[in-house]
Amino acid sequence: MGASQTRLEHNYDDLTEKSGFSHEQIKNLYQRFQQLSGNNEKISRDDLERIPALNNNPIRKQIITAFFDKRNQHQNDVGSLDEIGFEQFLMVMSHFRPVNSKATEEEKATVRKQKLRFLFNMHDTDNDGIITLDEYRTVVEELLSQSGAIETEVARAIADAAMLEVASTNVPHMAPDDFYEGITFEHFEQILKGIEMESRMHIRFLDKNAATMRCGKLSS
Amino acid sequence: TNTYHLSFHVQAEMLDFLLFGALISAVDPVAVLAVFEEVHVNETLFIIVFGESLVNDAVTVVLYKVYISFVEVGAENVQTADYFKGVASFLIVSIGGTMVGLIFAVILGFITRFTKKVRIIEPLLVFLMVYLAYLTAELFSLSAILSMTFCGIGANKYVEANISQKSRTTVKYTMKTLASIAETIIFIFLGISAVDKSKWAWDTGLVSCTLVFIFIFRAVGVVGQTWVLNRFRLVPLEKIDQVVMSYGGLRGAVAFALVVLLDGEQVKAKDYFVATTIVVVFFTVMFQGLTIKPLVKWLKVPRATNRKPTINEEIHERAFDHILTAVEDIAGLQGYHHWRDKWEQFDKNYLSKLLLRKSVYRKSELWEAYQKINIRDAISVIDQGGNVLTSARLSLPSMASRASFPEVTNVTNYLRENGSGVCLDLQVIDNIPGAKVEEDMETHHVLAGNLYKPRRRYQSHYSRHFMPLGEQERQDREVFQRNMRSRMETFKSTRYKRHKKERSLKKVRRIKLQVTSPPTSSCDSLSLCSDPVVVPVETEDKAEHSDPEKDEDVGITFIARKAETPKQRPKSGCQIPLLPPPPPAPPSPPPASSSPTSEDSHLPWKGSLGSPPPCVSLEATKIIPVDLQQAWNQSISSLESISSPPAPAEPVHPRVSALSRLGGPRPASYTPPGSAAGSTFSIGPQVSQGSFLFPDKKKEEEEEEEDVEGEWLRRCSRSCLP
Repeated sequence: MGASQTRLEHNYDDLTEKSGFSHEQIKNLYQRFQQLSGNNEKISRDDLERIPALNNNPIRKQIITAFFDKRNQHQNDVGSLDEIGFEQFLMVMSHFRPVNSKATEEEKATVRKQKLRFLFNMHDTDNDGIITLDEYRTVVEELLSQSGAIETEVARAIADAAMLEVASTNVPHMAPDDFYEGITFEHFEQILKGIEMESRMHIRFLDKNAATMRCGKLSS
Repeated sequence: TNTYHLSFHVQAEMLDFLLFGALISAVDPVAVLAVFEEVHVNETLFIIVFGESLVNDAVTVVLYKVYISFVEVGAENVQTADYFKGVASFLIVSIGGTMVGLIFAVILGFITRFTKKVRIIEPLLVFLMVYLAYLTAELFSLSAILSMTFCGIGANKYVEANISQKSRTTVKYTMKTLASIAETIIFIFLGISAVDKSKWAWDTGLVSCTLVFIFIFRAVGVVGQTWVLNRFRLVPLEKIDQVVMSYGGLRGAVAFALVVLLDGEQVKAKDYFVATTIVVVFFTVMFQGLTIKPLVKWLKVPRATNRKPTINEEIHERAFDHILTAVEDIAGLQGYHHWRDKWEQFDKNYLSKLLLRKSVYRKSELWEAYQKINIRDAISVIDQGGNVLTSARLSLPSMASRASFPEVTNVTNYLRENGSGVCLDLQVIDNIPGAKVEEDMETHHVLAGNLYKPRRRYQSHYSRHFMPLGEQERQDREVFQRNMRSRMETFKSTRYKRHKKERSLKKVRRIKLQVTSPPTSSCDSLSLCSDPVVVPVETEDKAEHSDPEKDEDVGITFIARKAETPKQRPKSGCQIPLLPPPPPAPPSPPPASSSPTSEDSHLPWKGSLGSPPPCVSLEATKIIPVDLQQAWNQSISSLESISSPPAPAEPVHPRVSALSRLGGPRPASYTPPGSAAGSTFSIGPQVSQGSFLFPDKKKEEEEEEEDVEGEWLRRCSRSCLP
């Protein structure tokens, strides 16, 4: 741990710049990373899936995939990785950083766009830049899957209604035989503009070491 | 709080002032609610101020009691231990009150789980249990307001899900009324006391100082506490919020009641306190209450947004929760979402199972939200006076595959399809570009000749001495015939025992007329008049259904029906018997209840062509699951019943081209595209349409109409018999 830590310290500034976390936060996250990966350099999907608290989450699959999705790395790659290193882990986490209240409007807009992009990538599983009806249906079904008694038909109906809503908000006058391909990122932004991103996609990353102390006992 | 020597008139000591301070500083929930409801600030702010006023009841009660007891004992005899006891009693009072409230919340939730068969007592139960929570807390000298508050908070989710829509409405409006009455009474009492000079004594110094100090110290308190809070808050409280919070601290009836209850013997300065309290209450309520609205506007405080979430937002709200929980778990933080998720798990696995009705328990929140959106949209359409069914057809953007896509999934989509929103002019057909335009035009021309005019216009033509036949008669005849047909259909379907299941599903029985396309005046051109068979058996059906409805209905509500389940097939529409007009005028509404067949069977061209009904309905029913159908039915049927009746709804389905193909004087005015028979809920007055068959009409009208009916009957039977 010592050697890797010194190595890491050199990179702190680099990482801070890229991800926006403070040194403290990066340290804490690194400790967590170590825990998850079993002191390896990289985390694989199994490592994340082993976290017990995630079992109850209906969309855990998508979230885990999101961690391995190249598109969330702020680069222009597509595809997914099999394992991620700490830097990539941080990049994904940075999507959930709280918005600095002193940031300018422009910066806030950028951050908001980033967060929306993360969401969008999560839904768009085939990387084609569009959320099609099937993909959206999957999303809704997953969300509803926990309640058990909801049949697929209902989930479909809801997804379809949502899709129609997107279509009609964005493309109000469609000719009857037009084919609505799917939700593009712009449409996605449009329909979610009512939601306040700042407090929604936002996790308090604690600065104190106490956080990781606690989670040392909890995590797998 | 207050200085020791204000003036030489007031004989008061430290403890007395402490007592006075305790009761005068408490913000009053009644006053706050009354004022803030007018102002419509954003939710956060409202909750902070209102919540403060609710919860500080515990503090007020405790402090008041503690100081009273100190005063009785005498300042000299108070020992240190007593202070600690005071603090301890505060904890007991507040936590105890909360626990009492929560216990009653559980009891209430549990009881409402079983009230399905006795819906009528649901509101009563709600009131009683909450009141019981209040009384129990009072009994044990705990904080009664806290108990009531937490009873409400705790029980809200479960009770709202368990009780019927009507009960919800009842509870809501009764509570509002009672609250109004109580507030009024209290302020009347306040005012009367102000005038009654014997009760108070004036001291300028005390009054003016109190006024100034409460304002200053409240501001200080707010600022200080906000500073502390902001270190922990996600979204910090701005300066503006703080201003509103300090300005919105209105004193009210609680302070007044407490001061009046003081023992004049123990507290010599009681009268002065009473006077001061009255002035303070008046001042805060009137001055601050009146000026807060302009202040809020001037400060540009973010107002409450009444925008309801769309279905996409609902979906994503839930998605967010899950995502954030997951990320928190991955990052190993036990953050807010983690705990919230844990609570929700607990709630789902234990509490909801215990407290929610089984049928409700299985549905998910997202689905409920979706339902609510549907219903809400349906309601808003009605409110705008439009008719969902006039708004054109579904020009569906085909997604994925057209076949699998449900043509109508909810009202929102239905409305949005035509892009132009709700159409207020009932006779307008929306201009939809594209390949369907031609069809539209044809339809339009066909319909234009046969559209019903809204009933209202007829009344202006009505003259006592001269009843113009013609349009009205035709319309009346058609309506009448529809009545008959619907009765026949109901009868037939009961015979086939098709809709027993639906009947049990319905929550409210309403009488509906199946609006079917009426025949033209030349009834011989259609096959409809062919069977003037009187079916006596019908009457027993009528009796069965009409009794519960009679008291409910003022008149006839016209609702277009749709086929509810795929099982129902349109029967060939050729056998429309005529029933004798029901003996008393106005005729009792035909039995409604569950939808028998789709009235599409009655459409002449349908009958002759044997083609499936213009069904959005049919396809939709294949896709919309039964659960959704019911709610959807409800929304549609309520829509129809309130909107104008034989509205010139152009057929919705593309297959309406069948219409134009048939040509001829087709009375196509009311095709029921996607209507549902079903229960309606009490959205508003079920507007009985038209002048036809109303009990409150003039007698002559009735008689004349009856005559017309009889006349037509005779005429038809003569000419239409096969």
